[in-house]
Amino acid sequence: MELATQLVTYGVLMGCVFAFVALGLSLIFGVMNIVNFAHGEFMMVGMYVAFLISSYLPLDPLVSLPFAAFLGFFLGVVSYRLLITHILRGPMVAQLFGTFGLMLFLRYLVMFIFGPDVRTLSHGVLVGKTISLGWVSLDASKMVAAGLCVLFFVLVYWMISRTKLGRALRATSLDAEAARYMGIDTEKMNALAWGIGAATVGVAGGLLAHFYYVTPTVGMLFILIAFATVALGGFGSIPGAFVAGIIIGLIQALGGHYLSELKFTFIYIAYFLTVVLKPRGLFGW
Amino acid sequence: MKGAMLLQVQSLVKEFGGLVANADISLEVRRREIMGLIGPNGAGKTTLFNCIVGYYKPTGGKVSFEGEDITGWPAHRVARMGIARTFQNLKIMPLLTVEENIMVGAFCRTSDRGIAIREAQEILELVDLAREAHVIPTELPIASQKKIELARALATKPKLLMLDELAAGLNPLETKEIIETLHRIKEERNLTLFLTEHVMEFIMTISERLIVMAAGRKIAEGRPEEVAKDGRVIEAYLGERYAEGR
Amino acid sequence: MSQLLNDIFSFGDRPFSERIVLIVFSVVALTFPWLVESAYARAVMIKFLLIALFGLGWNLIGGYGGQVDLGQAKNVGFGAYATALMILHWHTPFWLTVPVGIFFATLESFAVAYPMFRLRGHYFAIATLCVALAWKELFIFWDWTGGARGVEIPIRPTPDFTFMEFGEVGYHYFIFGLFMAQFLFMNWFRKSKLGYQLQALRDNEDAAASLGINVTGTKVIAYCITAGLGAMGGSFMTVYYLYIDPDLVMPLDLSILIAMTVMVGGAGSIWGPMIGAAALIPLDMYLGAWLAGGGHYGIDFMIYGLIIMIIAAYEPKGIWGVIERVTKRG
Repeated sequence: MELATQLVTYGVLMGCVFAFVALGLSLIFGVMNIVNFAHGEFMMVGMYVAFLISSYLPLDPLVSLPFAAFLGFFLGVVSYRLLITHILRGPMVAQLFGTFGLMLFLRYLVMFIFGPDVRTLSHGVLVGKTISLGWVSLDASKMVAAGLCVLFFVLVYWMISRTKLGRALRATSLDAEAARYMGIDTEKMNALAWGIGAATVGVAGGLLAHFYYVTPTVGMLFILIAFATVALGGFGSIPGAFVAGIIIGLIQALGGHYLSELKFTFIYIAYFLTVVLKPRGLFGW
Repeated sequence: MKGAMLLQVQSLVKEFGGLVANADISLEVRRREIMGLIGPNGAGKTTLFNCIVGYYKPTGGKVSFEGEDITGWPAHRVARMGIARTFQNLKIMPLLTVEENIMVGAFCRTSDRGIAIREAQEILELVDLAREAHVIPTELPIASQKKIELARALATKPKLLMLDELAAGLNPLETKEIIETLHRIKEERNLTLFLTEHVMEFIMTISERLIVMAAGRKIAEGRPEEVAKDGRVIEAYLGERYAEGR
Repeated sequence: MSQLLNDIFSFGDRPFSERIVLIVFSVVALTFPWLVESAYARAVMIKFLLIALFGLGWNLIGGYGGQVDLGQAKNVGFGAYATALMILHWHTPFWLTVPVGIFFATLESFAVAYPMFRLRGHYFAIATLCVALAWKELFIFWDWTGGARGVEIPIRPTPDFTFMEFGEVGYHYFIFGLFMAQFLFMNWFRKSKLGYQLQALRDNEDAAASLGINVTGTKVIAYCITAGLGAMGGSFMTVYYLYIDPDLVMPLDLSILIAMTVMVGGAGSIWGPMIGAAALIPLDMYLGAWLAGGGHYGIDFMIYGLIIMIIAAYEPKGIWGVIERVTKRG
């Protein structure tokens, strides 16, 4: 019983992190129907921001979160303006490879600058702290990550469904041409979606750095988890991404406990089964 | 052994999530005739076509071709049965040359590249495109691209050729030319034609019989001059008020 | 029969200049070991031929078929492991292990192909990635295949044609032979019914189906052939490296490199894989190795990324697209 509770709690918390990573991916896909392979690299950049700020400045890694968000936003917008807007005109193959190229570029740029070493955060208010609740002990940084994840989901959902900006974004996603006629600057909306998507995952990366290894190649694993999450939740669905993230977290926690070498295989299989059996996901349209 | 009926559609129904696009449509296309299908935009003509050739699975009803039940067959099997079609919005293969586009059609009946090339050249001659054989199709004007689609469909050696809005977007001169081409290929290849159009003029001149659809239903059938006088047809096209005022 | 031979060997439908290039390339490749003494340069040449060979196979599904498969390394792995395990456990002669590798790669591809090809575009690409990674994890996990430790096959002191072990020069001709075999196969393929049908469905699936092409069936066949062609190169890798592990023969990087080679060179062109490998491999082996020696890791892949982004944004037909445009104008 104790073990089961611990596993489920761990799974839900990790699930929140996965959902957090998937949020931006789902947003970008929802607005312009493009899968961003470089999403995991945006996250990795956020992790490095947290690592660098806490290692070289006398600051807590938590302080890095706004910087990670800002740098993420900047990266997202620049990527859109320099690359994505060009490849959107090309064939689907070019779209796939375009973001793939961006992924390689960012990953190995970071490796070039900081080397391939695996790093960890050495200090910070949350690092290594656990909170004990009866017979369940919780990792403080994961708790904060889960809390912020929920907050960001609510924020993004509110922005999309309630604000004028959100309406413009939705109009762009439904019919870009019609949106242009209504005077919406769709280029700006797309760039904004990339900015927001990258900013959220930057923050997720900043939090993830608290309890996960920081390496240039960490993005690949998380992008695959994010793909599985977004596919399960339904491509483009924000609430779907949240629910699916938690399901994936539970799969990984339980699978990892019983067959630890294959814990990621379960996620690959989850993706495969989802897209094959229910291509529109749990919350897809 | 083979009857006069080539294509038979019985009480075909197609719904999209409760929205009825085709309701209880029955029709027959006879061998070697030119059958027209008209109706205002949104009448369900393309849906009906797509149900016949296997792009949609009908919700109900039956489609048979040469006496064989082909309801719900996948598109490629229908094509091999001998029904070829063209698309309302052009679907040319843009990375293949004109000749290669047509060779792909010819490969429906042969595996031999030499035969496919000869067949393609013959058909290009027939539709008057021989000079453009090695051009990339997207560099040609719309009228030529429509002819490529026609030629490609022809290369599959169909018995029934279904043309979806072939004349749309063509000027009167081009329309006249394509009508001549259609008559020529019909004679030379022993074909039956089934065409849709929402522009009346083209279809009135070419069809021997006409079916009129409106709001997903068949509302009239007969020879073009009869159909043109039919009150229900005029109503469907010009609105109720006009029909009442007559 | 003579028709078939003609389709395999004839370049008659291509311009004269391309035939000249092919002859020059063959002569250079055949005399290469005499022209170049440096062992490193010979290794670069072998790597170039190997990656070009993988590119030829991938071009079938990715270039002619337009299906972005990011999991070709799993098939390389099947070939490599079939050869390694059969030689190690049963002393099977090399040429008998090749068909076994091809068989398993094709069988696995056939099994996953039907569900996979219900997916299009991005979903398909990610699914291929997931399947390949799952296989790699399984091979790491599985003891009989040596797990993460890998498989070592015995080194033979003298050149050996049963197990295909010999020096650099021997491997050069060996891989060149395999490369030419696949090149000629692709030369036949691009003119075949299947080749045209595959290109047709790449360009427009609805149109393809209306012309009697079984879209899913054709994709599945192409996917299986691609798998078999990849496994063949994998078998070569085993006897060339004499040691394999999942990180060497099944990594994601290899899948990416194979797909990238074709995209950079020109997808859907018989020349694409060669051009792509010629552009990427020396870059990696010289520049990458030089910089890594100075402690700068990753610059090769950084440049790859940059090249790919530029090609995706401005010239989706790759370097071959540029060549075609230039020669057409001239």
